[in-house]
Amino acid sequence: MHMLVGCLASALLAPALPVSISPSTTTEKHAEAVPSETIFIRAEHVILRPGQVIDDAQVIVRGGKILAVGAGLSLPAGATEISGKYVCAGFIDPWGALGISPDELSDSSPTPATRSADGVDIYGFDHLRRDTLRAGVTTARVQVGTGSRIGGLGTLLRLTPTANTADVILSRECNLWMTVGLTSGSQPLFDSQGQFMGMGGRAADPFERVETVDRLVSTLQAGQNYLVQKNEYKHELEAWKKAIAEKETELEKDAKKAKKDREKAEKEATEKGKKFEEKKYKEDKKPNPPRYDDDNEVVARVANGEIPLIVHANRVSEIRALLQGLESLGRLRLILAGGAEATYFAKQLAERRIPVIVWPAPLGRARADEFEANDLSLAARLKQAGVQVLLGSGGMDPAASRDLPLMAGLAVGAGLDREAAFEALTIGAARALDMQDRIGTVEAGKDADLLVLDGEPLVSTTRIRNVIAGGRVVVTPEN
Amino acid sequence: MWNRTIQLTALLTLCALTGSATAGNGKIVIKCGRVITQAGPDIENGVIVIEEGRIVSIGKDVKTAWDAEVLDHPELVAFPGFVEAHSIRGMDRPNENIEIAPFLDVRDSIDPINFYFEDVLRQGITTINVQQGPMCVIGGQGRVVKPVGLTVDEMTVRSSIGLKIVAGARPGRSRATQAQALRKAFGDLQMYLEKLVQDKKDGKDYARREALFQGRDMDKDENKTGREMEGVAPWKVADFKIVPRGEVDDKQEPLLRLVEGKLMAFVYCDSGVAVNNALAMARAHGFLANTVLVLDGDAWKAADAIAEAGVPVVLGPAQMYVERDPITGKEIETFVPRVFFDKKIRFALQSLNSTAQSLWFQAAQCIGQGIDRKAALDAVTRTPAEILRLGKRVGALEAGKDGNVVLFNGDPISVKSTVQYVVIEGNLVYDRSKDSRARQLLQGIEQANAAPEAVEEAVDPHSGKKAAEEKKSGSEKKD
Repeated sequence: MHMLVGCLASALLAPALPVSISPSTTTEKHAEAVPSETIFIRAEHVILRPGQVIDDAQVIVRGGKILAVGAGLSLPAGATEISGKYVCAGFIDPWGALGISPDELSDSSPTPATRSADGVDIYGFDHLRRDTLRAGVTTARVQVGTGSRIGGLGTLLRLTPTANTADVILSRECNLWMTVGLTSGSQPLFDSQGQFMGMGGRAADPFERVETVDRLVSTLQAGQNYLVQKNEYKHELEAWKKAIAEKETELEKDAKKAKKDREKAEKEATEKGKKFEEKKYKEDKKPNPPRYDDDNEVVARVANGEIPLIVHANRVSEIRALLQGLESLGRLRLILAGGAEATYFAKQLAERRIPVIVWPAPLGRARADEFEANDLSLAARLKQAGVQVLLGSGGMDPAASRDLPLMAGLAVGAGLDREAAFEALTIGAARALDMQDRIGTVEAGKDADLLVLDGEPLVSTTRIRNVIAGGRVVVTPEN
Repeated sequence: MWNRTIQLTALLTLCALTGSATAGNGKIVIKCGRVITQAGPDIENGVIVIEEGRIVSIGKDVKTAWDAEVLDHPELVAFPGFVEAHSIRGMDRPNENIEIAPFLDVRDSIDPINFYFEDVLRQGITTINVQQGPMCVIGGQGRVVKPVGLTVDEMTVRSSIGLKIVAGARPGRSRATQAQALRKAFGDLQMYLEKLVQDKKDGKDYARREALFQGRDMDKDENKTGREMEGVAPWKVADFKIVPRGEVDDKQEPLLRLVEGKLMAFVYCDSGVAVNNALAMARAHGFLANTVLVLDGDAWKAADAIAEAGVPVVLGPAQMYVERDPITGKEIETFVPRVFFDKKIRFALQSLNSTAQSLWFQAAQCIGQGIDRKAALDAVTRTPAEILRLGKRVGALEAGKDGNVVLFNGDPISVKSTVQYVVIEGNLVYDRSKDSRARQLLQGIEQANAAPEAVEEAVDPHSGKKAAEEKKSGSEKKD
């Protein structure tokens, strides 16, 4: 029923949407279908955010958002009632592949301006999305061209199986993606059924790897230069406009005199039998703007820290080159993905507040360049050294997001603090991706991505009874 | 004496003209057993009178001119020529190596003596929309042609009907990069136009300052102007009137015409995702009302979005979409035209090739899959004619329309029927009894040298099996 209402609402809202357009962004249609349903959740413990729990509390969800959280809330009329032992925020996979077709994942042609959001296949992956929701993962950041040097802009998806793009895409410009360490032809491989088979390509030699880093760093510096040029142009243009305005008032003031001078000169010329020659007019040339470049527009914003940069790098040489190369770009916000040997740089990573997305996968699924990445204790070791740790599902296999909570459990087993793992999957990931205002905690005003559990989250014996994604109950104990 | 000579010469000339089949006096009368008009009820023993290329009257008892050529075949069925809504054949090559080339025209690529045009006559297709192939971002301008004529201009029914745009992925690339390339193309157009206006303004300002400085009056002839930007695009270039129309670059002009609603867009979509991207693009640049989606792959999954947008579609020739259930592994078949028929979306069918899977076959398949006969026939006649804005000229047999008539020796979509005669704009352009190539295809080379009786047997309307075999063998030869 609410699906129908949603469709109606979107049809009614669509024409009223304000439409704005700039050369770099195209307008995106369809209003979000706002669920009209009200949900009332009673829980023995509500985990508001890591380390902050209130007991015997209730959560009210309406219009896709969390309306209220607290103890002693009363049941609103007409609300769907759900009860459970624990309530917490839905998990976020900051390094997933679910929702992007194999062709898009292995595309090697993206440029910085390519948007993963354009490649999201909202008509496929329904079963995987359902399974992943059942496991408690409600959002995932996905990326086209994971194997290419530059993968373009990543997108954050809500995993609800629906055909309305606006309901699915939470952010179109989540991050810029770059990868170093593999040869340029490296791409995830899939069989004819779309099943992930592994990562193609071979590990590059140390020179190639450092060269790749160099190239990426210079791409970013070019973006920054572009920004500088744009700003310079703005100032130059203003100065020119001012100078011209002054000149114009002067010319207008002298207009009568100029006319008289001309008449006089013409008269003189005819008297002397010479040809009359006009005075040459000179003024400052109007400054030219820097050539518009859609890729540099994006890179400039990344260099300026408006969009985070995620770089997939594992080895010491690459991480070192990267950290050195990006030092000059003070505003850039770097996130490391992979980071197999990142512990050697733990101090620097902690100081520069560079988070690392660790893929705590068991042995046997690794890329050629990962070496110790499969050490399940990597997350724990980084965390102990003070690095902000996030957990992701590797960004290659669409089915892997489903296993993220399980993998987080493995990382806990290998020494990571459970609360740190929980933080990594909720507010930690949200913060790294600039989505802390919308997801990651149980707070009034945030999107209603909630899990109702019969035990503590990230414990293997706990069952997820209900999942609410974007204010809709998408998983119940019955389905 | 002189008078008589003139009369005699005139008489002889007249005889000579009426003697030839094609270059008559522009009058032709077709009498046949049944006329399927596609504009009302069928007419038994109907008569079609065509003069100067147009149908002047049609019915049971209509006046015929005494000097008209008569095709009197009570055993045959008259049908309006099939209309091919979209074809990438008939050119010397379908694709260019230029990604964005709206300034190209298929006029320079159509090959009037291409076998394709001969083949489509055998299948009863009389109107074809020739468009560039899908290996581009924005292709050239297509045109509607009839398959007869020695020059492209002679063939042309409507020139510059619209642009080919590709929203689907090209090989080795992703939809995301394609979407970005399209976004960039329209962004470039917008920036180009804005710069054009700005340069014009700056030039005028400069001229004014120069005149002030030199003490003279402004030249009056500087005030040539164009007109404001038209169309319904959400973005407009302000003060566009300042630019005389001739000054817009030929490379950008066709795109501007598209945005202003003066060209159609044939947007190729290979998937549901591509459909969404295509619709978003058409909305953002104001050409949704002039958009026709050319579908392939699983694009039918976006049928709801298409219905909401209200755009017509041309369906790919692979009518049955087969996918595998990811959990059970069971094959799921979807008959694509049925999806659009059920959702009441205007759809036209498209030939895979000119023989075995030509339009008659596509329509017959639809009837076999439960679409009613009228809708199936409309999808190869009236609907494509309306989609191509040629509804007043082709697609049905009624007074005032072009004299395009195909005579079959049975029901036009029966596997047993073959095309006997084709009349295009009043000219008899195909006569099966004189089609030596068809005879060879039908009988093989050895038999082609055999006695002529065999020919009679082959076109016998009662030897259905033979006719069916012929269609099959035709396709094998063709492919």
